[in-house]
Amino acid sequence: MADLHSHEHVSCQEVVELVTDYLEGALSPDEAALFEQHLNFCDGCDWYVEQLRTTIATVGRIEQEEVPPAMRQKLLTAFRDRGRS
Amino acid sequence: MTQAELAGRATAAEAELLARLRAGDETAFEALVARHYGTMLAVAQTYVKGRATAEEVVQETWLAVIQGLERFEGRASLKTWILAILVNKAKTRGVREARSVPFTALAGEDEEPAVAPERFRGANDAFPGHWRAYPGNWSADEVARDRETIRVAMSAIAALPPTQQTVIRMRDVEGYSSEEVCAALEVSEANQRVLLHRARSRVRAVLEEHLDG
Repeated sequence: MADLHSHEHVSCQEVVELVTDYLEGALSPDEAALFEQHLNFCDGCDWYVEQLRTTIATVGRIEQEEVPPAMRQKLLTAFRDRGRS
Repeated sequence: MTQAELAGRATAAEAELLARLRAGDETAFEALVARHYGTMLAVAQTYVKGRATAEEVVQETWLAVIQGLERFEGRASLKTWILAILVNKAKTRGVREARSVPFTALAGEDEEPAVAPERFRGANDAFPGHWRAYPGNWSADEVARDRETIRVAMSAIAALPPTQQTVIRMRDVEGYSSEEVCAALEVSEANQRVLLHRARSRVRAVLEEHLDG
């Protein structure tokens, strides 16, 4: 990932690699400030970060995988019978 | 609400769930199985080969959970405990079958940049590393709710390497914390973030192709 220590500003190309660290709160306060400063001046990156948030929201709407009926039945039977053996 | 209050509430909800399970509440049990199925399957698939084997691991795990309910002491959360059992079972199998994803290879797994380099200005430009053309300004609400876009996101995830799939599934589909992902996959926080970053970046790129392409 991009190294922020070597300079005082971040490029757009660095922003797209730092965005997860930013959203995860893994940047230092100084790094986060530089990142946010860039977003304030750059619509492109602001929209990019917004696209990432939208991606996360979209993935969040994926339905959970369903338990196969045979397994569901087997587990339910085992749950019913527990402690009876 | 403060973090402590939230944590307190979670603990109370969990104690209630545990009491219901111990009392033999089938509805609570089925809901629990359904809630964790996708993640358990995904985690198992990073340790063993093939979906059928992964399904067997999930089933064995629940049988062990049922047996262990009375002994569970609540030192970890219920789902952390369940995932720990799953990882144990999966590893036992994985050792026998040779795991599908050697974890030493994790960090090297596909290193492509989040966005294609040609979309940025070159080193000789007055603004090196800046966008040549801005990415689209998406209407977040509309996009996230569109069924077709959700379907595209699903197939984008299905095409990711297995560990990336598991990480994005746990974090963004099922809402697990990064600590829980690290424990289940036995990866460091930093590696977890790298995997999440690659997965999210890739899915975004596929959505962009679909929406703006």
